[in-house]
Amino acid sequence: MFDHIDPRSPTPLYAQIASRLRLAVSAGELRPGDALPSVRRLASQLRVNPATVVQAYRDLEAEGFLDMRQGTGTFVRDVPVGRRTSERVYQATLLVRQLIANASRLGVSLDELHSAILEEMGAKAS
Amino acid sequence: MTHAIAIRGLHYRAGRSFEIPNLDLSVPTGSIYGFLGPNGSGKTTTIRLVLGLLRPRAGDIRVLDRPMPHDAPRVLARVGYVPEQPHLDPTLTVREVLRFQGAFYPTWDHAWAEELLVAFDLDEHRLFGKLSKGQKGKVMMLLALAQRPDLLVLDEPTDGLDPVVRRDMLAALLDYVSEHGATVFISSHLVHELERMCDWIGVMDQGRLVTELPMERFKRGIKRLVVSGAPPIGDPTPFSVLSREPNGASSETWLVRGWEPEMQAFFETGGASLQRVIDLDLEEGFVELLRTFRTPRREEVR
Repeated sequence: MFDHIDPRSPTPLYAQIASRLRLAVSAGELRPGDALPSVRRLASQLRVNPATVVQAYRDLEAEGFLDMRQGTGTFVRDVPVGRRTSERVYQATLLVRQLIANASRLGVSLDELHSAILEEMGAKAS
Repeated sequence: MTHAIAIRGLHYRAGRSFEIPNLDLSVPTGSIYGFLGPNGSGKTTTIRLVLGLLRPRAGDIRVLDRPMPHDAPRVLARVGYVPEQPHLDPTLTVREVLRFQGAFYPTWDHAWAEELLVAFDLDEHRLFGKLSKGQKGKVMMLLALAQRPDLLVLDEPTDGLDPVVRRDMLAALLDYVSEHGATVFISSHLVHELERMCDWIGVMDQGRLVTELPMERFKRGIKRLVVSGAPPIGDPTPFSVLSREPNGASSETWLVRGWEPEMQAFFETGGASLQRVIDLDLEEGFVELLRTFRTPRREEVR
């Protein structure tokens, strides 16, 4: 799940981990009641500072995505459908922004980008 | 904030060529502090001073809240040290090395040492001297961890080892830190590894601490800016300018420290325009910092 965590990115690691988990919950990859790895396990698996994992979990708890239960672990909460949809829409917006930024850096026009998207989507749909 | 290592006004000299003229360094308790610097910058010397292996000419070194080297025996009982070069007797087997080292530490965790032997895939019957470089590194890390220290001092513990070995060693280290909350002071040239796990960064060069900051502030504050219609050199800026280089006639690339997004206004009010803000990762930031630290200010620093 955390294959794309990039320590070199200017986005702090805790924010990257939180964002990945938020999306996993919103897209149904993680279901309500699912247990997340312990801080100790995830920190050692990703070779990141345990404080980084704690901060990601705490932020998600404050947003209502996770429930940290003393002694038992961290669990996915039942997040309302509307909240999950808006999170996916937000992620889609970020992806498009990134795409547009890359295109303009490479000198690809918006029209060219747009028709390429339509074409790829058509190919996928058929 | 309490500090696991606090160095104040330290002066050290070895012969004529190497000097640490005046060092202040603070490692917050519970942090993972990455200690960066080129070869010969004074990292290993600083580490030896911290461990009481060398004596300073002046200044104070406190480790786990006790003066060094005065309280060395009590302090070292709580410090796990992985040196750059393994210093163990090559004619002992891995098992004998463990038994020997464990005897020095009342906190030695036998059960965990056994677990690490298995996790690190080490053969207890082999002579230490016959182990590969990676296996030696794992033994050193095992010894440092199994004494259950409050502070780990690691001098390039994984440099020169293969990625699988490095991964195992760092996973064990972070596992211990999660559980025990120990402080880690680690020097390495493997900057991307430090970038993953450190929350503090100190950079040494030529016997001086060039910078010491929380990792996030270090990375957020150092940027490359592309500026057109740049104001004249010498105008005051809300950030510090490390270097300016022209890109052809119309724009310049600035390397700045202490950058905040609101500072964009500085360019607009001055009639210039900021075309791009380029993020640097830790390695680029480190390299750029050293380059600018060395060139323009060498005379001033002497």
